[in-house]
Amino acid sequence: MSPQPGEIALRAIELRKDYPMNGETVHALRGVSLEVRRGEYVAIVGPSGSGKSTLLQLLGGLDEPSAGSVLVDGVALAGLDDRTLTRLRLTRLGFVFQRFHLLPVLTAIENVELPLSEAGVSRAERRARALELLGYVGLAERAAHRATQLSGGEMQRVAIARALANRPAVILADEPTGELDAATGRSMLELFRRLNQDGTTLVVITHDEHLAAEAGRVVHMLDGRIAVGRQG
Amino acid sequence: MTWWRNLLRHPLRSALAVAGITVTTAMLLDMVLLGGGLERSFERLLLGRGYQIRVSPSGTLPFDTETTIPGAAALRLGLEADPEVTGVAPVLGASVFARAGDTLVAVFAYGIDPEVQAIYQPLSGSDLAAGDSLGVLLSAPAAARLGMAPGDTLVLVGRLDPQLATAAIERRLVVRGVARLLYDSRGQLSLVALLPVVQSLAGLREEDRVSAFVVRARSDDQADAVTARLRSAHPGIEVNSVTDMVRHFRERLVYFRQLSYILGSISLVVTVLLVTTLMTITVNERLGEIATLRAIGVSRATVVRSVMLEGATLTVVGGGLGIVLGLATARYLDAILTTFPGLPAAISFFVPEPDRLLLAGVVLFLAGVGAGVYPAIIAARAPIADTLRAEAT
Ligand SMILES: Nc1ncnc2c1ncn2[C@@H]1O[C@H](COP(=O)(O)OP(=O)(O)OP(=O)(O)O)[C@@H](O)[C@H]1O
Ligand SMILES: [Mg+2]
Repeated sequence: MSPQPGEIALRAIELRKDYPMNGETVHALRGVSLEVRRGEYVAIVGPSGSGKSTLLQLLGGLDEPSAGSVLVDGVALAGLDDRTLTRLRLTRLGFVFQRFHLLPVLTAIENVELPLSEAGVSRAERRARALELLGYVGLAERAAHRATQLSGGEMQRVAIARALANRPAVILADEPTGELDAATGRSMLELFRRLNQDGTTLVVITHDEHLAAEAGRVVHMLDGRIAVGRQG
Repeated sequence: MTWWRNLLRHPLRSALAVAGITVTTAMLLDMVLLGGGLERSFERLLLGRGYQIRVSPSGTLPFDTETTIPGAAALRLGLEADPEVTGVAPVLGASVFARAGDTLVAVFAYGIDPEVQAIYQPLSGSDLAAGDSLGVLLSAPAAARLGMAPGDTLVLVGRLDPQLATAAIERRLVVRGVARLLYDSRGQLSLVALLPVVQSLAGLREEDRVSAFVVRARSDDQADAVTARLRSAHPGIEVNSVTDMVRHFRERLVYFRQLSYILGSISLVVTVLLVTTLMTITVNERLGEIATLRAIGVSRATVVRSVMLEGATLTVVGGGLGIVLGLATARYLDAILTTFPGLPAAISFFVPEPDRLLLAGVVLFLAGVGAGVYPAIIAARAPIADTLRAEAT
């Protein structure tokens, strides 16, 4: 039974994150609550240091909050053991990073196959799915290129295909256009729009006004809190 | 699918590591072979012709000294009286001279009974027949030195008369064949003739003296019991089974063996340190990638497996080459060591027995896997969020 559109894909409740720093405490998040519905496209904006990346890492189960809780598809992350949490990241979440983070020793298609292989998908099936995804992001003819032989925009497309591999409930992207020039960034906007139109739930951190304008909702962060929530 | 490509990322570095492992493995292997090689080849030499017991003058081991046993014929009968004894071979070793033109060449002569002998294998020509008191066999180095072949006549000179500087006794013998003398050192000039012939040349005929008897028991299991019986029946002589002699030998070699085990262990430790160091550097370099993999859902187990596989691959490749190198150096070293004067050429310092090779291989593989543990732990423990953040700045 798969969740229906309108259901909550991602929920943060009163998230706090403190980092100890030279004997003092940095309050990166001071109580953030957020709900992302299935099929939604949410942009997170805010000044540098306002806690955007910290929030995304907590939402993605990459780090543990100092207080509060995160639910992905209704499953509370707190208390999951590492194996279950890792499995959940593999199957329910997709990550896109500012610097792409592809494996340089692998080709484009192998990078996309990696999460499929980890999920136990058969060789033939994952080849087919990876090719399909590369086609979807417009890179089918680059499948056999090493990651290091691709341009920034191409690498980010491969990273998006990799994030989509196991049909995640949500894609979490931290400044996906941060390293790209304006024109390439523009084409990335289109790809994100298309992804969302095809039903993918997106949470995107960005400094890019154009990208934020595409989103259905923009969450403004300031000093570890959500400042204004605007429904699009 | 990434582990072997990771190895090729820094080909020179991986090649250097493999070269290091190759060298330490070769050393490990040589030490393991050296540890047991001497003992095994000694035992093999002594048991080569199935004679399990040695009889020598009291307080000596065979051919350890120039002492001899008198009354050989009677003693032989006495030894043969034991029902489990199936062969008693007398041996006398003595120095004689062979005429080569107008010079005399010193040759070591073995006097034997062709019907029961345990000290040589015929190579060419024919063997000595029983009662052939005119025949002689030469070792290959002696045949070459004297320039003789089967059919030639050899003039042997026994003890030189010190006053006249002439031969006290001289014998003309016909070369029947060339033989491999099992206890000869490399290049040794020696010959084999009937016991009475050598006794005459050495002046030991009247007292019927021999250096040793080589005795065969009906079965190997009986050897120790027969040895004990012969020992109590003949208190004036030394009776040892090959097992006893190997034990004596082993006692003499104990420090040698310990040393080889210590050096072997050191080379194993060096291998482990080498792999651990390289893999730790590699893992630390790739922490960002590892954090990315963990973020997108790759399990700790997969990360650990990949690091351990990488370490094990280095070890297996280096170890495989090391075994080849080790065998080659063992052969080379053996060739040098066995030219030591007085050492039977049939003795090997390095004996590549399959079980020893297997032992070295297994130990090495375990070491390679073990060497990956620490770097794998680093990889598995890398904090995902902090590492990714550090990568982004
Ligand atoms: N591991 C850490 N240790 C100490 N302080 C940290 C750590 N991670 C984040 N911080 C602090 O927490 C605050 C929020 O950081 P975060 O990276 O979430 O901001 P951001 O909104 O993503 O900024 P940017 O737009 O520059 O990426 C900052 O003050 C930062 O210095
Ligand atoms: Mg950030």
